[in-house]
Amino acid sequence: MSSLQEQMRTRARELLSKKEVQVVIGWEKGTFWYLSPPAFITDPDDCERLVWDEFCTNNLAKYLLDYKLGEEKIALFVKGCDARGVNRLLQDNQFQRERVYLIGINCSGVKDGRRAAALGEARRAEVPLAEKCLYCTHPGPVIYDELLQEDRGAGAREAAATAEGRFAMVEKIEAMNPDERYAFWTSQYDRCLRCYACRNICPACNCRECIFDRSQSGWCGKQMSRSENQFFAITRAMHVAGRCIECGECERVCPEGIPIMALNKKIIKDLNELFGEYEAGLDLEVRPPLGQYDLNDPDEFHK
Amino acid sequence: MLKIGQDKLPELISAWAGGARVFVPQEREGTSIFTPWDGKGKLTLGQGNTLEPPKDLFFPRTEAMYRYQVNGPAATLETLPPLEEKRVLVGIRSCDARSLLIMDDVFLTRGYVDEFYRQRRENTRIVALACNEAQPACFCTAFGIDPGRAEGADVQMWPGEGGYLLEAITDAGKELLKQAGNLLEEAGNAHPPAAAAPGLQVDTGGVTEKLQRMFEHPYWTAVSRKCLGCGACTYLCPTCHCFDIQGENQGDSGYKFRCWDSCMFSEYTRMAGGHNPRPSKKERLRNRFLHKLQYFPERYGKFACVGCGRCLDRCPVNVDITRVIREVKEVTL
Repeated sequence: MSSLQEQMRTRARELLSKKEVQVVIGWEKGTFWYLSPPAFITDPDDCERLVWDEFCTNNLAKYLLDYKLGEEKIALFVKGCDARGVNRLLQDNQFQRERVYLIGINCSGVKDGRRAAALGEARRAEVPLAEKCLYCTHPGPVIYDELLQEDRGAGAREAAATAEGRFAMVEKIEAMNPDERYAFWTSQYDRCLRCYACRNICPACNCRECIFDRSQSGWCGKQMSRSENQFFAITRAMHVAGRCIECGECERVCPEGIPIMALNKKIIKDLNELFGEYEAGLDLEVRPPLGQYDLNDPDEFHK
Repeated sequence: MLKIGQDKLPELISAWAGGARVFVPQEREGTSIFTPWDGKGKLTLGQGNTLEPPKDLFFPRTEAMYRYQVNGPAATLETLPPLEEKRVLVGIRSCDARSLLIMDDVFLTRGYVDEFYRQRRENTRIVALACNEAQPACFCTAFGIDPGRAEGADVQMWPGEGGYLLEAITDAGKELLKQAGNLLEEAGNAHPPAAAAPGLQVDTGGVTEKLQRMFEHPYWTAVSRKCLGCGACTYLCPTCHCFDIQGENQGDSGYKFRCWDSCMFSEYTRMAGGHNPRPSKKERLRNRFLHKLQYFPERYGKFACVGCGRCLDRCPVNVDITRVIREVKEVTL
């Protein structure tokens, strides 16, 4: 069996040559050995650029929105988290299912690029899993049109994903008293640059126009101050409530290293406790807890 | 040339802190930034660059410009007190030192002097630290910057055996070294270490001329595909200097402030009435590169990039300006 990377290139070439799709979105090698950023291929002869290695970290689902108003069909490589991101976009009617061809990859977790940079290439084998993969509950894609067979070659990575400890950070913060908690979050969000990388990479953030791109609305001023930064943080966290797929991309891309997933996971934990266990993006037919109406709702507003 | 041991460095900083606030690179929750030295913790002057450039010290993220009060049909304006605080910025690298000269061009030349910037700049002494080790994303030498000796510094420092070597460059620098008193010793025949040799290289020759002819080139569509349109690159850039001016009003009074803005944002060029001449990330990303590599050289005769590598290091999708320069030079017109 050929390596996953070879299969990716072969399938991309076939799909483009037969004009079954017009664009293939995957990963390619970046500036350094520990970077495998997104790649957009339209020419079958360019498929050699595609790579599959332990640094194919980026969740590619969000890019579908860039093609939302077009006609072209897109082939998208999906790991577990990418696939859940696609499901979320489909569920929000952000993209037509028939316009995307999903090529699934069973992911055993990607590696931490920043730690890799610090360790150096000679110690590539020691690079730990990315934070976002440590608590991954669904490494395999939950939606796909075809699934590439598992790579058992020399490049195979160990599977280490486990859901244990998924809420450990949340519990740690919950155990703080309100003053400690306030001190913790202010020290984190005082660093926020409001670059909006977290929002822009998030497959749950799919508003056509974001409140934070309308500073003259008066909702959130453009000055970078504690109150505006916190308003941004809380608003975004509440806005993705029930829709966050825990891909961890927001936290990974934050240039300031703010533990954004602790906020998102707190809300997930609360939702689980209030409305029963729910994981966003797993099933197209199951509506998000805050996107449905149920007469057995524990709140009594309907009585 | 003078020298000081690593163990004496806190005392040197304290000596300079008499009459000035001293900023040094410090670790902060896994990132690094220039902050005032409080005498606690470990003083290392950092490994390579800080995550955030010192830009904020001269051109703050947000700063009030004036206050106003409305009384019926009349309004009064209140200017803010002058910025008189003396500061010493210690440990700035050659790339960031160049960035200050670039910012000087913007804020101090061509017929307008920005008083906010001028006061902060004139009140700040620069103590540069040479790099003898390059970080992976460094490419300052591509812009003719010497990692072993900073431009525009008052004092130049070099890492030396068990401490640092120092040399005053300006009169203000001599004053600083005098202030240090007997903390400094003659370095004898000690020599500064060889300057760092960044591994990442790019030949910028001809890139401005090429860009002048490719505003409408399809390359911009291709290169912007993966861009997320976030502002991490511009906000971490030591030379990006765009700002917006807005007001914060409460009742009859308020203040005008300016704050950093980013050409990567959709709101940046949106006009009254809703038209946006840069409607997509293609036009926005193109503007970022044209500003650094074409418009700025046309206006000021130098590139608005210092090769600090922060943008390509922190970009969530590895948009790499060195690669853009190479590709721009290669594309056919």
